[in-house]
Amino acid sequence: MRPREAQVGVAFLAVAMTLVLLQSPGGAARRSAGSTKKGRIRVSGAWALYPMMVRWAEEYHKLNPGVRIDVSAGGAGKGATDALSGMVDIGMVSRDIHPEEVKRGGFWVPVVKDAVLPTANAGNPAAKELVKTGLKRDTFVALWIEGKSLTWAEAAGKPKSGDPIRVYTRSDACGAAETWAKYLGKNQEDLQGVAVYGDPGLAEAVQRDRLGVGFNNLNYAYDTTTNKPVPNLMVIPIDINGDGKLSRSESFYQNRQAVKKAIADLVYPSPPARDLNLLTKGKPKGLTRDFLLWILGDGQKYVDEAGYIELPKQKIAEAIKKLR
Amino acid sequence: MRRETKDSLAAGLTAVAAVFCVVLAFGIAVALLAKSQPILATSSVGRLLLGSGWHPMRREFGLLPFIVGTLWVSGLSMAIGVPICLLTAIYISEYSHRRIRSLAKPLLDLLAGIPPVVFGLWGVLAVVPLVAKLAARAGAASTGYSILAGGIVLAIMIFPIIISVTEEVLRKVPIEARAASLALGATRWQTTKHVVLRAALPGVFAAIVLGFSRAFGETMAVLMVVGNVPILPRSLFDPAYPLPALIANNYGEMMSIPLYDSALMFAALVLLVVVLLFNVAATLVLRRLEKRIA
Repeated sequence: MRPREAQVGVAFLAVAMTLVLLQSPGGAARRSAGSTKKGRIRVSGAWALYPMMVRWAEEYHKLNPGVRIDVSAGGAGKGATDALSGMVDIGMVSRDIHPEEVKRGGFWVPVVKDAVLPTANAGNPAAKELVKTGLKRDTFVALWIEGKSLTWAEAAGKPKSGDPIRVYTRSDACGAAETWAKYLGKNQEDLQGVAVYGDPGLAEAVQRDRLGVGFNNLNYAYDTTTNKPVPNLMVIPIDINGDGKLSRSESFYQNRQAVKKAIADLVYPSPPARDLNLLTKGKPKGLTRDFLLWILGDGQKYVDEAGYIELPKQKIAEAIKKLR
Repeated sequence: MRRETKDSLAAGLTAVAAVFCVVLAFGIAVALLAKSQPILATSSVGRLLLGSGWHPMRREFGLLPFIVGTLWVSGLSMAIGVPICLLTAIYISEYSHRRIRSLAKPLLDLLAGIPPVVFGLWGVLAVVPLVAKLAARAGAASTGYSILAGGIVLAIMIFPIIISVTEEVLRKVPIEARAASLALGATRWQTTKHVVLRAALPGVFAAIVLGFSRAFGETMAVLMVVGNVPILPRSLFDPAYPLPALIANNYGEMMSIPLYDSALMFAALVLLVVVLLFNVAATLVLRRLEKRIA
């Protein structure tokens, strides 16, 4: 096993099985700011929000040592189902809230933004061409919706590559797939391709298959420490205006900051950019409400560091108003 | 306390526990059936079981690809696993030195204790690339996420169950039977084949059934390597989508699409019924085997 694969593997395992337990250490000595809040908040759902939520949980726990927050990841759908069935207090949902979920008493606030990015193996036959031309939305539609078997030559104009493109998608009910499908005018169930479990799983599959293409949330496509795309993975630039080449305004994939800026400035299309939501059953009360208000207030200062994009001020204000 | 009181107390307690377990099985079946009612009210059982289109948003819930996928993957795992398991059990019980046996058994138990997600991860890292290479050599287009990968991972997961039960059963065959056969000049292999295996046949069969049941319901490890594409697979290199994976993957959409929860409950009911039928059939076969030997 090569080291980076081992790394990804370990990360995958860690996240797949993780339940971050932020135990309250107890004792008055560590009690800061005189917080007397006590209790437990359970959170589950989207992989897209998972790293952000873990950070928020840590910071909130520092301020309120009496509060324990359990975070687990399992896809947006799991978050919604868990929250609506009362298994958890907060569901992380990285897609729009479905009408059916509203009907069942779903209450939600948007908290941050990120984007789904199409990815390919960095060693693919047309890597050089892709950086210059990108791919059009029509090509994505042909691959993921119509299930056409295209070669790399046909898709990216690389002469003489008869290698087929191998399409991957997500198996778990998730926001990334739903948002990617929405960009292509459909739903997750309409996405073709071999389906792999979890965000890290999909990254892993594309990293290993020279001919593979997939899609990942921003923070799984780019390495959080180097800010470059994760090893062996390239982000496929989107030819937004469809003119067959990448203009300067369309090439912003070198590192995470550049992509984040393009998403914040609305240059990167939405979808696949999208708001990430937190869902509760009914309007939240007590500790859950307090945590949500903290996320929308002080919690926002960790957003940039954690690799996400802040929502516009007005949207935050609306969300706070909705909670009060 | 008087010992008679103690005895009746124990009898009562064990009876309550037994009744509870039996009722529980019924309870699960009844609950699943009740939850399946909405979907059964909109389409017939035949259409659900034999339909091959899975488009929940369009209210199409054909389970055939999932049922076929389950059969392929668990069938393949048995085809790979059973011969290896039987040979291993025979070696441990009939041929190996005591020391090797005392070394092998804890290792097998360890294998049984590994959580499925670890097997799945190992499958993604080791088996999937291997299958992709095999497919390329065979001239088939495959990503490696396939029935074959699922079958291999599953086969390894059922090793410890089948091996330990089979070995146990083989060792229960009286040593005198072996001695008699060897005294007549039979070789060890002849003794194993004609005496030990023959006597132990019902037990070996039970071990295989146990392994199959495990294979049938195993979810996480299979889900991670099998590709999860709802099609009717045509080769071992094709991806498939077994029933347990369907339920686990889409548990999340239960609340967001009408009738979806009911369709998944029905899928769970199908899984339960199939396992039940299989167990009943196995019991019948087992009885016949026992009769034939006795």
